[in-house]
Amino acid sequence: MDKEIMMELMKQAISDVLETMFFQPVQISSKNCTLQEWFFDKQSLLGATLTFSGPFAGLFYIVIPVNLVKEITANFLGIEKEEVNENQKEDTIKEALNIIGGHMFSLFDKEGATSLGIPELIEDNNLQHDNLGEIKGNTFFIKTEDNHRAALVVTEMK
Amino acid sequence: MAFNVLIVDDSSSMRAIVKKIIKVSGFDVGEFWDVSDGKEALKVLANEWVDIVLTDINMPNMNGMELMAEMKKDELLRSIPVVMITTEGSEKKMQEAMDSGASGYVKKPFLPEDVKRTLISIIGEEDGQRDNDGADEAGDF
Repeated sequence: MDKEIMMELMKQAISDVLETMFFQPVQISSKNCTLQEWFFDKQSLLGATLTFSGPFAGLFYIVIPVNLVKEITANFLGIEKEEVNENQKEDTIKEALNIIGGHMFSLFDKEGATSLGIPELIEDNNLQHDNLGEIKGNTFFIKTEDNHRAALVVTEMK
Repeated sequence: MAFNVLIVDDSSSMRAIVKKIIKVSGFDVGEFWDVSDGKEALKVLANEWVDIVLTDINMPNMNGMELMAEMKKDELLRSIPVVMITTEGSEKKMQEAMDSGASGYVKKPFLPEDVKRTLISIIGEEDGQRDNDGADEAGDF
């Protein structure tokens, strides 16, 4: 499949999932900037990874400011932001990545030959602003209606 | 008549969502159990009367397909309907699940209505739902 079409389908998958399950309409671009530049305000971040294998193989990363994770968790669970706890935030970011990854492959891998791993949290240290440059790959820059920023990175895709 | 539901997903948030959808959709539910993998689900199934299982596929320890295979081997469990709620969204994988004995499936991302519709198709509207009880809340989900 043409890489450009694949990238468009990925954007569609991110948008579908964030809007349908997390009530978060977003704009997505694949502009030419680094994660350090994108998260210029050095907010506290939460992240998760998910491996995939088969005809397509690699790793997804999702990185979201903690405040936005709190918001999408509240939306997802139908509770107030103040009620959201740490476990719920961590579980929700992992599940968001899981659903996005699965939905992406359902759009362009009709045979279902690609398998997803189990999502895992990224350690805090790897999300320090100075270390964000270590996360490399095709990056989708995500912006919500409230101007919150997030990013999804896909590495090693073959 | 009230029915008992077992939800199996390694995401506690997803379990909470599915439970909430079932509650607000007006189904007449007796007991809810929710566990994080197939092995835990088999423990519940060994000890409790479960009328329907809703399970994710991709889970650690024992996945949803393995859980269903174990249930189909057991004379007492094989007739319990199993609904796959999963990110494994390809038509081929869903067909494999149906061929292996799943009664239905819901692809993530889903709307509450997708879960409700699938459950109605399996347990029946008249059997499964209370008279309008809770149905009004569904719109507020």
